[in-house]
Amino acid sequence: MLKLIKEILRVGEATLPYPFAPIELSPGYRGKPQHDPELCIACAACAIACPSNALTMVTDLDQGFQTWSYFVGRCIYCARCEEVCPTGAIVLSSDFELAVMNKADLYEQADYKLAACRECGIYFAPVKEIQYVLALLEQSSLSAERLAQERSLLEVCPECRRKKDIPKLVSLYQEAI
Amino acid sequence: MTLLTKERTKIGQKYVEALRTRFGNSILDESWQAPDQVTVTVELNSLPEVVEMLYYQQGGWLASVAGNDERPLNGHFAMYYILSVEGSQENNSQDAEKAYVVVRVEIPPHKPEFPAVTPKVPAAIWYEREVRDMFGLQPVGLPDERRLVLPDDWPDELYPLRKDTMDYRFRPEPTTEEETYEFIKVEGEGIVQIPLGPLHITSDEPGHFRLYVDGENIVDADYRLFYVHRGMEKLAETRLHYDQVTFLADRICGICGYAHNVAYSTSIERALGIEVPERAEYIRTILLEVERLHSHLLNLGLACHFVGFDTGFMHFFRVREKTMKMAELLTGTRKTYGMNLIGGVRRDILKDQRVKVLQWLKELRGEVTDLVGMLLETPNIVQRTLNIGRLEPQVARDYSPVGPTLRGSGFARDIRVIHPYCAYDRVPWKLTYKDGCDVLARTLIRAEEFFESVSMVERCLDGMPEGPVLTEGFKYKPYQFALGYVEAPRGEDIHWSMLGDNQKLYRWKCRASSYNNWPALRYMLRGNMISDAALIVASIDPCYSCTERVTLVDVRKKDVTIVPYKEMERYCRERKDSPLKSANFGRIKAK
Repeated sequence: MLKLIKEILRVGEATLPYPFAPIELSPGYRGKPQHDPELCIACAACAIACPSNALTMVTDLDQGFQTWSYFVGRCIYCARCEEVCPTGAIVLSSDFELAVMNKADLYEQADYKLAACRECGIYFAPVKEIQYVLALLEQSSLSAERLAQERSLLEVCPECRRKKDIPKLVSLYQEAI
Repeated sequence: MTLLTKERTKIGQKYVEALRTRFGNSILDESWQAPDQVTVTVELNSLPEVVEMLYYQQGGWLASVAGNDERPLNGHFAMYYILSVEGSQENNSQDAEKAYVVVRVEIPPHKPEFPAVTPKVPAAIWYEREVRDMFGLQPVGLPDERRLVLPDDWPDELYPLRKDTMDYRFRPEPTTEEETYEFIKVEGEGIVQIPLGPLHITSDEPGHFRLYVDGENIVDADYRLFYVHRGMEKLAETRLHYDQVTFLADRICGICGYAHNVAYSTSIERALGIEVPERAEYIRTILLEVERLHSHLLNLGLACHFVGFDTGFMHFFRVREKTMKMAELLTGTRKTYGMNLIGGVRRDILKDQRVKVLQWLKELRGEVTDLVGMLLETPNIVQRTLNIGRLEPQVARDYSPVGPTLRGSGFARDIRVIHPYCAYDRVPWKLTYKDGCDVLARTLIRAEEFFESVSMVERCLDGMPEGPVLTEGFKYKPYQFALGYVEAPRGEDIHWSMLGDNQKLYRWKCRASSYNNWPALRYMLRGNMISDAALIVASIDPCYSCTERVTLVDVRKKDVTIVPYKEMERYCRERKDSPLKSANFGRIKAK
């Protein structure tokens, strides 16, 4: 008993003053993801990786928009989005005080324009994603001719590209025979 | 990526040979998933005898049973009886070959029934009830035909885990307003069954206990759980891909989630023959032991609470905070670590973290030594726990309980020793077991394991090799399957996973440790006083907020008293004012 009383005296008060004083978090603490809409290219890698559907990507083919959205209520702060993001547009902060007075504040959204196919006019990929691929190609020391070729390919949707490729393949096949 | 290419030495071959000698043509097929993991397909009618032979003659323990709807693959349902076969149990010998032998049977869809194993091996009882609920496979000869997992108001012919029955989001209309579950009847005295009305769930994990009492003595006990079955297996099989399931596995349990996470990840890695980098193995071991630290401190705190030593409870929880901080420092969060992907871990442990954790471990060792000393000096503790809630070795042998519950009854059985995984065979440590068979033995084991875990984390931090922490670039192969196993703080967690052809699991059977401990609890409660019931339940360390309400049935007066769980807890601590004598609780006179 005496030991216990000594221990109680030694320890003193164990309760932290939080929330009246800030609480100390470990470095690398996983809090709310911060999305930078400028860096984001709307590639949807995060939405595919997200285990809990907190991140979703909805495509509106009529209006030509792709909407990235994040719902705090479903987020499990696992940082998979941060791991798979090719541009560093999502980084986890250490923010954990996420209660809000208005439910709508739990959602974040960002709209991205889609590019229309040069051939069929149907929207097929986010403009920024195409720009990102082009920028990568420009950095990869291709010849000017090859680059122009790639650029024109990027303006066409995969469906039309396939259709355009068929006659080419047929002629290649005939040549081979 | 490195695949297991070296010539496999087959551990456990002799058990299969013995089966072949005795059952001959009834053994249809044999396939090896790992050097110590074999699946033997047997003829349906010989199932009970095969399992019985493995269990009682070759030192088998029932780890899990998985049902599987393999009609799209081979036209049959299948059952997998997963046994850890460990040879003779005499003198706790550690020499015999230890292997997982999985007995597989195929069940024709036009006649979905199989001979029940439970009459020969009681440990199968919950599994066979579950398989009947989830797959509609009838165990013929099962002594207990009540539902286990499905609620009373679930439609009769709807079997959730069959591949062709339902989407994971489907919620059928309730078929009844009443609870129709039949609790056991205690023979001789004619117990009246009282319907308890609609469920009243105040905690996150409710369960219903029914104690049959004669005066203050518990004659028998029955309980019903699964009120909050979450359908995680179905969710994983239909919605998540392999890496995402690791995060779901983290959420199976709020205490030992990482153990489930490792069990799941290793099951997939084993099925595909992926070799995890050694550093990742060490990191997993460290985190598993950090998890054990906080879990055992929680249970030791509760042990204080239930013997009325609440100051001790507070201090164990104060110290426990350090282990939670440790997890936060190493993983970025206090619980649901989310550290695994298939192939390794996501974060390395850096020097700063290592130094800090080592310092905290040193402090913890000192503080907990003092606290455990104070707990044992409390005059109450031995008096309240010695010879209370006895789990007789024979009952333990029959029901395959796991973890400290089993080790308290004299069995030196710990998966970390028997089937070493991660880095457990590379760091030295000492296994703890006791012969007391009572609440005291189980509590002392947890205290000793705490210190062993502290040392193990220290050794791992000092001895971990340099190198990568994640293997990438492997290919998933459809319909491969294997077991993953982890000794969680409460006993082994077993995951059986079969991969699919669409980047999703075909079947995921996860079994948490308490699942194996619940069926034996009935025998621990018998012959004890009501005032010790809460203490005994706590000694198996189940996910505890479960037991919201207890029904007492007086076998002599034929009274049924419904007591709120809080009151049972109070009685356990104070041992004054028996709830049976109190008029404050609804008492219903038998007709």
